[in-house]
Amino acid sequence: MEKKRVDEHEVEPAAPVRVDRFGFVKQEQNSTEGLTGSRSASEYEREERRIRKWRKMIGVGGSDWKHYVRRKPHVVKRRIRKGIPDCLRGLAWQLISGSRDLLLMNPGVYEQLVIYETSASELDIIRDISRTFPSHVFFRQRHGPGQRSLYNVLKAYSVYDRDVGYVQGMGFIAGLLLLYMSEEDAFWLLVALLKGAVHAPMEGLYLAGLPLVQQYLFQFDHLGKEHLPKLGGHFAQEMINPSMYASQWFITVFSYSFPFHLAIRVWDVFLYEGVRIVFKIGLALLKYCHDDLVKLPFEKLVYALRNFPEDALNPDVLLPLAYSTKVSRSLEALKREYEKHNGKQAKAHVKPGQ
Amino acid sequence: MASSGNKSINAKLVLLGDVGAGKSSLVLRFVKGQFIEFQESTIGAAFFSQTVAVNDATVKFEIWDTAGQERYHSLAPMYYRGAAAAIIVYDITNPASFERAKKWVLELQAQGNTNMVMALAGNKADLLDSRKVAAEEAQTYAQENGLFFLETSAKAATNVNDIFYEIAKRLPRLQPASNPSGMVLMDRPADRVANSSCCS
Repeated sequence: MEKKRVDEHEVEPAAPVRVDRFGFVKQEQNSTEGLTGSRSASEYEREERRIRKWRKMIGVGGSDWKHYVRRKPHVVKRRIRKGIPDCLRGLAWQLISGSRDLLLMNPGVYEQLVIYETSASELDIIRDISRTFPSHVFFRQRHGPGQRSLYNVLKAYSVYDRDVGYVQGMGFIAGLLLLYMSEEDAFWLLVALLKGAVHAPMEGLYLAGLPLVQQYLFQFDHLGKEHLPKLGGHFAQEMINPSMYASQWFITVFSYSFPFHLAIRVWDVFLYEGVRIVFKIGLALLKYCHDDLVKLPFEKLVYALRNFPEDALNPDVLLPLAYSTKVSRSLEALKREYEKHNGKQAKAHVKPGQ
Repeated sequence: MASSGNKSINAKLVLLGDVGAGKSSLVLRFVKGQFIEFQESTIGAAFFSQTVAVNDATVKFEIWDTAGQERYHSLAPMYYRGAAAAIIVYDITNPASFERAKKWVLELQAQGNTNMVMALAGNKADLLDSRKVAAEEAQTYAQENGLFFLETSAKAATNVNDIFYEIAKRLPRLQPASNPSGMVLMDRPADRVANSSCCS
């Protein structure tokens, strides 16, 4: 009996940790203060006005949302592109994604999945829990409420869809959602995305062989060449391809290794407009850094593509640039082309290297 | 592939291994001299570079640190194809991760780059009390498969630089032409049956 070790509880340091306004532990060299820090009185007023408009648009508990979207889709789109007020973001995300309806149609299902079912992925999930947003106050405490919620959502999903199960990367999406809503709400939003409640289903990002990741990388590669031919040529010369820098953009929809204040703005638009925005943001990043990137040799290029400068990651610069990038028609054509060559492509991937 | 300049070569190196074996931690220790207890999971892959000096030459490693989960397997060939070296990492406290390491070795052998230098790293060697994989077992396996083997600890900074340094020494272009065959045993996959051998 005495051999049995008591689970050591990590004692939180007595001194309060300094966090930014989203709850991430501050690093000394982190200077995003200008973007996320104190704001002027006029900015507060503007924010107040936005919140009032949004409240009206959503209605009590979301009662007016559908009506408003049907009547004025362009107003909704424009307001979303400006950023959803943070205090309404959780509710707005659920309305936009259609997850609210799923929740209402499936009472008790989440509880059933969490409490009574067992998942083959439980160990895999546990291994990653403390490695998901480890610098956020909600998730950094061992076995704390954040880690427990994250575990529950991921486990529930891995039972709900045993073909997908649990895949690394889902944790960052679930984590992002949990900062804005309850476990059960986050679970249904995950379902809405992966099963395609409003947009095309995303589950292909996580299924065996990651078929949708492969397709998106193919599409992004061609879009890059089409929009930025000079950079495309340079990439070809340096043997750079999107799998070297963009796979996590798609797998986690920018929720991994991008500044949080940018990630949530991308998510606002992503939920309403779909995966197109991920391509647009990716192209906008390349476009913004174009003149630097075309000069860099392979190694510096890979580094630069994974460490964009702070000014490029400013949502108020990057998002307008992304909105002005048109991709829909090319995306459709490239999808058809990918599907046509898909068999050949898949074989080429597993062929032993030279 | 390892391409030679004057006295410096670039070598692509890939890290493979099970989830949580410590691939990213090994790289972080090697490249930045740091250790983070809760290292964020790697999604897709990460890239680093670091230079080491060996035998009057410098080797610049271009390091691809891959995601460990089985589901990401289909992305792995993009990172190991054309690599001059691979470090296959397992966790000495987790036998399943050792089995996974063996599968990676098989896969690398099957893809046919006979010049690839392969190292096996038994990581988390600081956790001696929880050891589940005997060093002798791994050593024997490594010898039989033409890998060189070290137990490492990214946390305690044990053998981390050494494993990269050993790889650098074994890269084909850095071997002096008159290298006595005495040390070939470990670094050349001579006993690989699938390939018709011609070298020794």
